[in-house]
Amino acid sequence: MLGVKNIHKSFGSNQVLKGIDFEVNEGEVIAVIGSSGSGKTTLLRCMAFLEQADDGIFTFDDLSKDIRKTTKKEIKELRMKMGFVFQSFNLFRNMTALQNVMEGLTTARKIPKEEARETAMEMLQKVGMVDRADYYPDQLSGGQQQRVAIARALATKPEVILFDEPTSALDPELTGEVLEVMVKLAREGTTMVVVTHEMEFARNVADRVIFMEDGVVVEEGNAEEVLSNPKQDATKRFLRRILRKEEEE
Amino acid sequence: MNDIGIWITETLGTRVWRIIRIMVESFPKLLKPCLQITITLTLLSFFFGLILALILALVQVANIKGLKQFARFYVWIFRGTPLMLQLFIIFFGLPSFGINFNGYVAAVIAFSLNLAAYNSEIIRSAIQSVPIGQSEAGYMIGLNYFQVMTHIVLPQAARVAFPPLFSSLIGLTKDTSLASSITVIEMMSVAKRVAAVYYEPFWMYMEAGFIYLMICTILTKLQSYMERRLEWKQPAEEETKK
Repeated sequence: MLGVKNIHKSFGSNQVLKGIDFEVNEGEVIAVIGSSGSGKTTLLRCMAFLEQADDGIFTFDDLSKDIRKTTKKEIKELRMKMGFVFQSFNLFRNMTALQNVMEGLTTARKIPKEEARETAMEMLQKVGMVDRADYYPDQLSGGQQQRVAIARALATKPEVILFDEPTSALDPELTGEVLEVMVKLAREGTTMVVVTHEMEFARNVADRVIFMEDGVVVEEGNAEEVLSNPKQDATKRFLRRILRKEEEE
Repeated sequence: MNDIGIWITETLGTRVWRIIRIMVESFPKLLKPCLQITITLTLLSFFFGLILALILALVQVANIKGLKQFARFYVWIFRGTPLMLQLFIIFFGLPSFGINFNGYVAAVIAFSLNLAAYNSEIIRSAIQSVPIGQSEAGYMIGLNYFQVMTHIVLPQAARVAFPPLFSSLIGLTKDTSLASSITVIEMMSVAKRVAAVYYEPFWMYMEAGFIYLMICTILTKLQSYMERRLEWKQPAEEETKK
């Protein structure tokens, strides 16, 4: 459904993505793992056109296009069918939780206010934030903000939601509530691409795991298989390091 | 000894009475140009200066080729030369090209142009203080550039820019006294005249200073009131308290 072929991206002389192929099927949950600096966040941002890739082909449903030649209009249409959840939540600070969730409906899609409010409340219900609907982001904890951000991404009924390290900016005791919501979404059949450091989440929820290092996909496959029986040395090294860190904690 | 005491009290008493009488007498004389000229000059200049500042800031943030460079050039010129000189060029200089303004209009033009340079920098930095991630989040839910600016960035920038913009308004109130140098009869030039008539410069200028101080006090109060109103926390917190 959503895919990229042979994606390249450099920042100055620093080559971050060195030819990545990647495909998401409908209803699939994909976890993208790898150490920081491996290019996984850049990959996600290129797929949302938050970064302009230097080369590659982008596919979404029937559309297949040279990623450099995508027009503004096409990007806008693509984003209408996509959700994005940021590491730093990025809630609109001048709006309440409810207004944050409604904004994509009322302003971008011209849905009448009452109808938008109903949908938004439904989404806040889903992430357990109804009782905080009238709070401003500054009055919410990190975990609560991220749940509102997820509701905001859900409200527009996207075909796929991209998560960029959704729990990395949270205090450890707050990651649980966010992961819980994401597990629920996955169970409901939401198509999700999740860049994450949460190995447990990847193991329990993801259908497929993609391991990236140094701008290339090193290993990819069934979650259980990649995480329990990695074939590549790089993957083994990475998992060992992560496991050790988790034990220390 | 006693005689000297009486003499001092009497002389001082007369002097004090004279000063009080002069001050009471001159108060309306100062207040009139204050209300008619100083305040209108301030408000008009601030209004036009703010609109121009917003345009100058937006073309820089939107990175519009040509206009952005023009804005930088504009700011460079108007921040880099004295306000008094700008007043003089517009009032005394432009007539040699056949462009004539009366003092009041020349003052409004000079103050607006000067203020626009400073305020555009305030607005530009306020816009840039809104985290880029929020704009990205806006685009991802399907908003376009204009909607991201008007719904997300500018409302937040307004709150950041508000205190320094208010400072520049307060600064302008006092800078309008410079208009006295291009024949505008504002409060400062009236104070000068009254001081000369009564031969009490100290007390006349003190009185004018007092009126400036009062205007700025009112503005400061207004600022803190409006800042509280601009807080986004306020409404929701009040609702929860109920």
